[in-house]
Amino acid sequence: MSASHPRILVVDDEPQIHRFLAPALEAAGYVPLRADTGEAGLAALATRPPDVLVLDLGLPDLDGKVVLERARRFFEGPIIILSARDEEIEKIDALDQGADDYVEKPFGVGELLARIRASLRNKASRGAGSPVVHAGDVEIDFVRRLVTRGGEVIRLTPREYDVLVALAEAGGRVLTHGQLLTAVWGRSHVEDVQYLRIIIQRLRQKLEADPSQPKILVTEARVGYRFVGV
Amino acid sequence: MFLGMAPGVGKTFEMLSSARRRKAEGVDVVLGVVETHGRKETEALTEDLETLPRKPVEYRGRTLLEFDIDAALVRRPELLLVDEYAHSNAPGSRHPKRWQDVEELLAAGIDVWTTLNVQHLESLVDVVWRITGVRVRETVPDQALTRADEIEMIDLTPEELRKRLAEGKVYLPETARLASDRFFKPENLTALREMALRRAAQKVDDELVGHMRRQGIEGPWAAGERILVLVGGEPFGGALVRAGRRLSDLMMDAPWTVLHVERPNRPPTAAQAQHTANALKLAEQVGGRVVTVTGDDLLQTVLEYAARNNITQIVIGRRPPSGDSRFRLASPFAPSLAHALLNHTTGAALHIVTDTPSGETQTVSHVPSLGRRPNWRGYAAGLTMVILSTVVSAGADRWMANANLAMIFLPSVLIAGGVFGFGPGLATAALAAVSYNFFFLEPRLSFRIGHVADLITFAVFFAVAITTGFLTGRVRDQARVASRRASVVASLLASSRRLSSVSTRSDAAQALAEQAAATVGGSAMVLLPEEGDLRAAAGSPSLEVLGPGAMTAARWAWEKGEAAGAGTGTLPQLEWTFWPLQGLRGRAGVAGVTHSPLKTGDTGEERLLLSLLDQGAVALERAELATATVETETLRRSDQLRAALLNSISHDLRTPLSTVLGSATTLLDYEPSLKPEVRRDLLESIREEAHRLNRYVGDLLDMTRLEGGALNPKMQWTDVRDVLGGAIQRVERRLGSRRLARDFPPELSMIRIDPGLLEQAVVNILENAIAYSPDGTDIEVAAYEDRANVVISIEDNGKGIPTAELERVFDKFRRLQQPSDRGKGVGLGLSISKGFVEAMGGRIAAASPIHGDRGTRVLISLRKPTAGAGAAAAEAA
Repeated sequence: MSASHPRILVVDDEPQIHRFLAPALEAAGYVPLRADTGEAGLAALATRPPDVLVLDLGLPDLDGKVVLERARRFFEGPIIILSARDEEIEKIDALDQGADDYVEKPFGVGELLARIRASLRNKASRGAGSPVVHAGDVEIDFVRRLVTRGGEVIRLTPREYDVLVALAEAGGRVLTHGQLLTAVWGRSHVEDVQYLRIIIQRLRQKLEADPSQPKILVTEARVGYRFVGV
Repeated sequence: MFLGMAPGVGKTFEMLSSARRRKAEGVDVVLGVVETHGRKETEALTEDLETLPRKPVEYRGRTLLEFDIDAALVRRPELLLVDEYAHSNAPGSRHPKRWQDVEELLAAGIDVWTTLNVQHLESLVDVVWRITGVRVRETVPDQALTRADEIEMIDLTPEELRKRLAEGKVYLPETARLASDRFFKPENLTALREMALRRAAQKVDDELVGHMRRQGIEGPWAAGERILVLVGGEPFGGALVRAGRRLSDLMMDAPWTVLHVERPNRPPTAAQAQHTANALKLAEQVGGRVVTVTGDDLLQTVLEYAARNNITQIVIGRRPPSGDSRFRLASPFAPSLAHALLNHTTGAALHIVTDTPSGETQTVSHVPSLGRRPNWRGYAAGLTMVILSTVVSAGADRWMANANLAMIFLPSVLIAGGVFGFGPGLATAALAAVSYNFFFLEPRLSFRIGHVADLITFAVFFAVAITTGFLTGRVRDQARVASRRASVVASLLASSRRLSSVSTRSDAAQALAEQAAATVGGSAMVLLPEEGDLRAAAGSPSLEVLGPGAMTAARWAWEKGEAAGAGTGTLPQLEWTFWPLQGLRGRAGVAGVTHSPLKTGDTGEERLLLSLLDQGAVALERAELATATVETETLRRSDQLRAALLNSISHDLRTPLSTVLGSATTLLDYEPSLKPEVRRDLLESIREEAHRLNRYVGDLLDMTRLEGGALNPKMQWTDVRDVLGGAIQRVERRLGSRRLARDFPPELSMIRIDPGLLEQAVVNILENAIAYSPDGTDIEVAAYEDRANVVISIEDNGKGIPTAELERVFDKFRRLQQPSDRGKGVGLGLSISKGFVEAMGGRIAAASPIHGDRGTRVLISLRKPTAGAGAAAAEAA
């Protein structure tokens, strides 16, 4: 497996998707791999694990969620879901089941490649355990538990800090409401999305240049939030 | 399914007759297997129907000719006739039972008509055995009836069937012939007939109830109604129990409880205790729950029980108006319990049952519904016969012994008792004894008895006379009761059958009017509420215009919920009597009759009429609910369609969009680093997907036009070959390496169609053929004509359509769920083709597989104009 040419396995039953994804991935410096069915995808995943799995949820032979669940039993790398906008529940379920991110169909190639990059970076950082994360002029120092903006220390409540860290550690991946609530408040508060809304509002007030147009803490409508770092 | 009570009622004959009518309507009817048993009339019916050859099966050295299911599957008729559903196939056949063959045929999308005798139903085997002593071996599961789309009951009276049997018109296999005498006894046939009728009616009921439940229609569910029957030592406790049971039947088997209140402060007499015990025993036998509670305050106890158990219907007995003293003593209920309940009950309907107290206590059963009147003719005849006997005896007196003269009187007694019943028989016996004593026993012309021997003669004679009169009278009464009962049962069965088969309110009203008119032997009308007023909906023998007085009575019955008109306290001067039709959910309407039994005082007829009206009310309600069900179903289906449409748009329109967007962004972002051929490929992909998108949108628009009824075919004289040519041109680019062959005749009649619609219909079929057949295979488009139609045939060599899917290929959003079949369209193409072809008056059908196990053929047949119009077309051309 070459670090310079990560292998991307795309599981999708539409030949047209492969037709443009293959040259695009290649042009971006990846090695595209193709599977047309869920079974074929799982087989490819097991025999020669790719660096990233791109999985369409609407497969003809197996439910995408089944593929995801089986893949997660032996594949630890990033999984990016392709799904339609109106399949929200499925999307959230997939994320909660261990998918790292999603892209809505129809999508521009740039969008997908950005997600792939983020997931690869995250994979790398997971190993390294980088102590500092930057986003714009904001710096988060995990070791000193210190958040600064333009060099100035920002005072955060413990909840605000926990939410920010959870998002930042995800490294640009989307986190669902449920995942954030579970991580910060605990299992019993998994439905209390309004807690989260308030905390995010306050964090944006403190961190964003323009809180009404957030650049760091981005809302993924009806799904969750994403931390956009450098 | 043609259902009968026994062999020989004419199921096969009826099935064939109906099939011929279907055939005449243009349905593709084929005889799979029909047992005519050599009957000429039946054979004649099969003559010009296509018959599948039977398959010979070797079994123990004999060759049995069995139904050939494979031939049927290959032939694929619209309607297949498979006689004798319960038949067991010869060993070695595909399925052991014929009903399993039928299952497979149905699964393959072939409509099947079959025949069945009720004794073959699995759940009835024991019952049939007990009744007839014949154990049926060939059984079918009961679901056969439930699953049948339609059941036609072939009914014949037992007498008629026995007549046919005697005339040798009923075929019986040799083995069955031995049992046949036992089996075909009239009482057995009557029982079987009732079973068959019940099953057929039950099926109709089940279907509707199931349907309404599924649709969530608020209805009279068993859960809704709870019936309480109060018994307290009435001699007619049995009648109360049966009233409860009937009420429960009417209310779709609502749970019913028979309650007896024991009052420590008032112990019952021995007779009352016996009556109560009998009533409770009967209640257990007919399926009621029996509860005994203790309480001193009767009213309070009953009210509490009713409230605690959510009782909605209370049945209670009331002493008869005559105020029979025996009864008053016998009743443990205070005379006013019915009244007290009326005043104190909330939320429950009260049913008060009156009965003649002697009704069920005497051995001579005065079946209350009989409405007997004193039989003066019988007494008069008895008197006449005694006088005659006296005269004859006087003549014979000279040369006959006194004791023998008695023999001359005996026939009078026998005749009076036998012909006119118990009363006249007994009276005649007494009269005969007195006359004999007076005229012929010494001393004559006196009632005294001189000799001991004469006394014995007289006593014996009197005893014999009384016994004979009593016995013959009783036999006669019982026979009359039985025959009256039978006619009541038959009449109710007939009307229940009719009423349960109606599907619309007006049909129900008509059926009810006819049955009511037949019951009273006069005219009958049914009025239904419409826009706040009553409107005559049906009448028998004809719909009449009711006068203002009659309408007033009808409205009175509607508003007050009680009978009005002749024989009632309201407007009694009228010719008509009106009753409200009280259904389970409210008043369904009003029914009126002339020659009302209220006026004539025939209580038996009144009862029959009232139960008929009850049935009618329920049938009307049922029809209303059925209409509501259909409406809900329509709504549900349009919801389903909308959901499917959204789903389809979501996935199928987004896929080409994804490709377009993805390819375009790839080009934008990475153009410099892409090889020229890759760039070209991406651009082509964009173009193709844009075309695909356009087709989908076109399909959706076409469908919307079809659905919205905006389709307006522009019919014009057309050469179908031109249309086919145009269609082929449109799909040529997508053929790939598939070969497309044309087979057009040099001459083809012009027909009047919309060429645009036909072209689109053909294009859709061709696209489907291309999508579902692999590269390198052949697709053939052919046109030909027969006497009446121009036919277009489109064949492919794809993997074919699974039999189970075949009937649904023309459904909307129907795609074969196979891994490689995605992205081939929104699943509307064939459904649009069907819509277009049918809009032009044509027909479309699919067959598969056609070449071995592969290939699909779609046929479009378009009617040619009649000769005259054709000539006009030729001239115009």
